[in-house]
Amino acid sequence: MSKFFAVKTTANQERVVANLVEMAVRKYNLDVYSILAPKELKGYVVVEAESMEDLLKAIRGLPHIKGVVKGEINLAEVEHFLTPRKAAEQIKEGYKVEIIAGPFKGEIAVVKRVDETKNEITVELIEAVVPIPVTVKADHVRVVDKMEV
Amino acid sequence: MVELACRNCKYINIDSKVCKNCGSTELTKEWYGYVVIIDPEKSEIAKKLGINLPGKYALKVG
Repeated sequence: MSKFFAVKTTANQERVVANLVEMAVRKYNLDVYSILAPKELKGYVVVEAESMEDLLKAIRGLPHIKGVVKGEINLAEVEHFLTPRKAAEQIKEGYKVEIIAGPFKGEIAVVKRVDETKNEITVELIEAVVPIPVTVKADHVRVVDKMEV
Repeated sequence: MVELACRNCKYINIDSKVCKNCGSTELTKEWYGYVVIIDPEKSEIAKKLGINLPGKYALKVG
């Protein structure tokens, strides 16, 4: 039965690390079965291996690796990364969100409408004097408050 | 180097217009999440995702 471990990496180098680990595993013929780098988990990769020893051998001397998280992870904790939901599905009308990309970056807004098929949401900026609806990608916001205003 | 994911099987193809895994031509550059399957027979993740061939895959396409 394989085990899951979390490896801390430099941010935005998760895919590079996954590729490097794969090369090391093939080179030394180690019992590492898969490497997972979900978009939601910044600065970490999840490695599926037979044992901690195999993992440590695979990552020895590789760049961009900052350490291994102590202990194992359950499959149940990893499972939800395998079927990512659309960002819009997790946002509801009335939520307070912060816009994290685009011209309104840094602004706080209230969600007025959610379009799940287009993965877009329409928001109104809180600090604007005149309320103007702005449509942004659901990936470009971060939920600040789930209390419906 | 362009990494394109197959809409059909989520396999990531590098500098190719045809999916090397399933032969589909529906490739997209819009994909998220990255998983490297080394041993599909022993990997629990590969079983959950229904992957039989080793390689690099996207978790979400489009």
